Amino acid sequence: MNPLKEVQLILLRELRKNFRSVKGIVLLLISLIGSFGAALLLVKFQAFKRGQIDEAARTTQGSVEVTASAVKEFIHDGRIKALTPVYGETTAKYIADSPEVLYAGLMITIWLTPMLIALLGFDSFSGDMQHKSVRYWTLRTRRGSYFAGKFFGLWTTVSAVTLAIHALIWAVCIFRGEATAAETLSWGVRFWVVSLPMSAAWCGIAVLVSSFFRMPMVALLTTFAANFALWLVWVIGVASDTNALLYFYPNFYDKLLLSPQLWTAASGFGACALMATLCVGGGTLIFAKRDV
Amino acid sequence: MSTTEETTTAKDDAPPPPADAPAEAKDSDAPAEASNGDAKKDNGEAKKDSAKDAPKATVAEAASYEDKEFVAPAPKKKGKKTAEVAVRLSKVTKRFGVKTAVDGISLKIKAGSVYGLIGPNGAGKTTTFSMMAGFLQPTEGAVEVLGFTPSHVDELRGRLGVLPQDALLPNTDTVGEFLSHMAALQDIPADKIRTEVESVLAEVDGRDWMKLRCSQLSHGMAKRVQLAQALLGEPEVVLLDEPTAGLDPRVAYEVRQIIKSRKGRCTLIVSSHNLQELEEVCDGAAILDRGRVVAHGSIAELTASSQEVHIKLAPGPVPLQELRALPMIKRVEFDDEKSEISVYFERGSVDAETVIGQVLWVLLNNQARISGVTKGKGLEQRVMELT
Repeated sequence: MNPLKEVQLILLRELRKNFRSVKGIVLLLISLIGSFGAALLLVKFQAFKRGQIDEAARTTQGSVEVTASAVKEFIHDGRIKALTPVYGETTAKYIADSPEVLYAGLMITIWLTPMLIALLGFDSFSGDMQHKSVRYWTLRTRRGSYFAGKFFGLWTTVSAVTLAIHALIWAVCIFRGEATAAETLSWGVRFWVVSLPMSAAWCGIAVLVSSFFRMPMVALLTTFAANFALWLVWVIGVASDTNALLYFYPNFYDKLLLSPQLWTAASGFGACALMATLCVGGGTLIFAKRDV
Repeated sequence: MSTTEETTTAKDDAPPPPADAPAEAKDSDAPAEASNGDAKKDNGEAKKDSAKDAPKATVAEAASYEDKEFVAPAPKKKGKKTAEVAVRLSKVTKRFGVKTAVDGISLKIKAGSVYGLIGPNGAGKTTTFSMMAGFLQPTEGAVEVLGFTPSHVDELRGRLGVLPQDALLPNTDTVGEFLSHMAALQDIPADKIRTEVESVLAEVDGRDWMKLRCSQLSHGMAKRVQLAQALLGEPEVVLLDEPTAGLDPRVAYEVRQIIKSRKGRCTLIVSSHNLQELEEVCDGAAILDRGRVVAHGSIAELTASSQEVHIKLAPGPVPLQELRALPMIKRVEFDDEKSEISVYFERGSVDAETVIGQVLWVLLNNQARISGVTKGKGLEQRVMELT
């Protein structure tokens, strides 16, 4: 059998398992409710801002449109100034054009995804190892296919959950008049696609860590510890201005992935893919040699 | 009067060497050959059994097997090589840290036989079994199943079925989903998966379980579903680790019937410490103790059923002199405590049934009161002697 076919079969089974398990359903619901709530809050904040603009127009006796336009420009410039140190001028100018709610949604996704992945993926391997049900699979699939299937299963699940989160934010954005449908979908899909390579890297890390342990709880704690360690490396990198350290942290790559320049975005995609490949490849090599 | 008989094949009446004889003394008709790493044969074999040369050696040695009775009529799969030696272990050692679980075992199990791995807890049965299934990697030595190392999943796909001892079924799946997924991974064509799953479920008496969640199954039902996955797609070799452990007598009986029904259709290797069960279903067995093979051979050899009979007597005359006068008898002993006569005879020179007839004739003519006749000494007693 073609190894790709094996991976596909494992992936489909993982999807079924993830979306059927109590844990998967609860996490999906929490993510959706949380993101819906966050989107509503952001929209409320935007409405508050608009109210403030109206108020300012009334007190200055000026036209609301003129004031709104001036405030909008002021906010736009402010966003560029705020984003430039993080993304660089070109990317900052590019992102500043996006609806604020969608950008905030992307940030929420990027920061929540590692936790979501840790909670969804900690027992992907360790659960099967603990109960030895992995033996039903190692008999019928190459271990590499099993590992890759687990990775792709987790990544697809997380991608679907994040898509659902983004879709909710898009809906809130459109129905509350934050942006037009075309603008929302254009930016929304772009932002969702940007989150995919980073979540792939996080999934690789989660599956790798999970494959080392037979006890899911230990795997969960170690995954959190690993994520925290990577974040710490990033913090040290930022504080000490050591660029090399920043590249160990998958969330750092939004800096590259959000760039309007194709080459820069591709390098961010490549870096995330490399990180995921190293985790899956290394994990497969170890898993192929170990006793189950 | 009750008579207990061995489950043997015609060739059990041939004159094989003693069960605990060195491996090189074995004839090729036994369902398996086995030895420990220090046996002479292994020293000689070790060179040709190296992992590099293993496939060639398997074919060469398999060709030396003349007895076709044990060759299973296994379905030949396109592009797959068939082997007359189903499983072969060459000086296999497994260590967990400083503990040696399996110590230089060599074993050849012929295709088509039902073979038992016997031994007390900690003897190394499950470790040996797990190496055959590819779950554990041997620390030293080589394992081959149908001529391939167990890690060659693609070559063994659908040809090797395994019932692991303590692997739980996935809770989130229904029985149908689980078995269908396993069947798909075995490369069973999509249009035949449902039929295959239904057929194998029917075989384990679980026709109505397709939609049941694995988490809803009782221990006995789960064991039968596990057995079903091992039997999916008519595998050529089926490894069963403690297939009846923890089952109530009725379910255990049913599982034994399923195993028996597979006899002749594939090679079955059963790891168990239920000796009655193994005596009932196996053609041959290896007795393991502390990671080493202490005896091996056909069940008849192990139980010495072709060289001794035991007659239990009720109080009354015990005509030992008359029995000793019988020409085919080598030795006669009487155990006062058990009130049991043990009659030993030369294996190969006369069959057990003839001896039983003659002995009973003498006993009846001398007014002895017979309460039971047993051929051989029983696997349990043999294992107790050896381990």
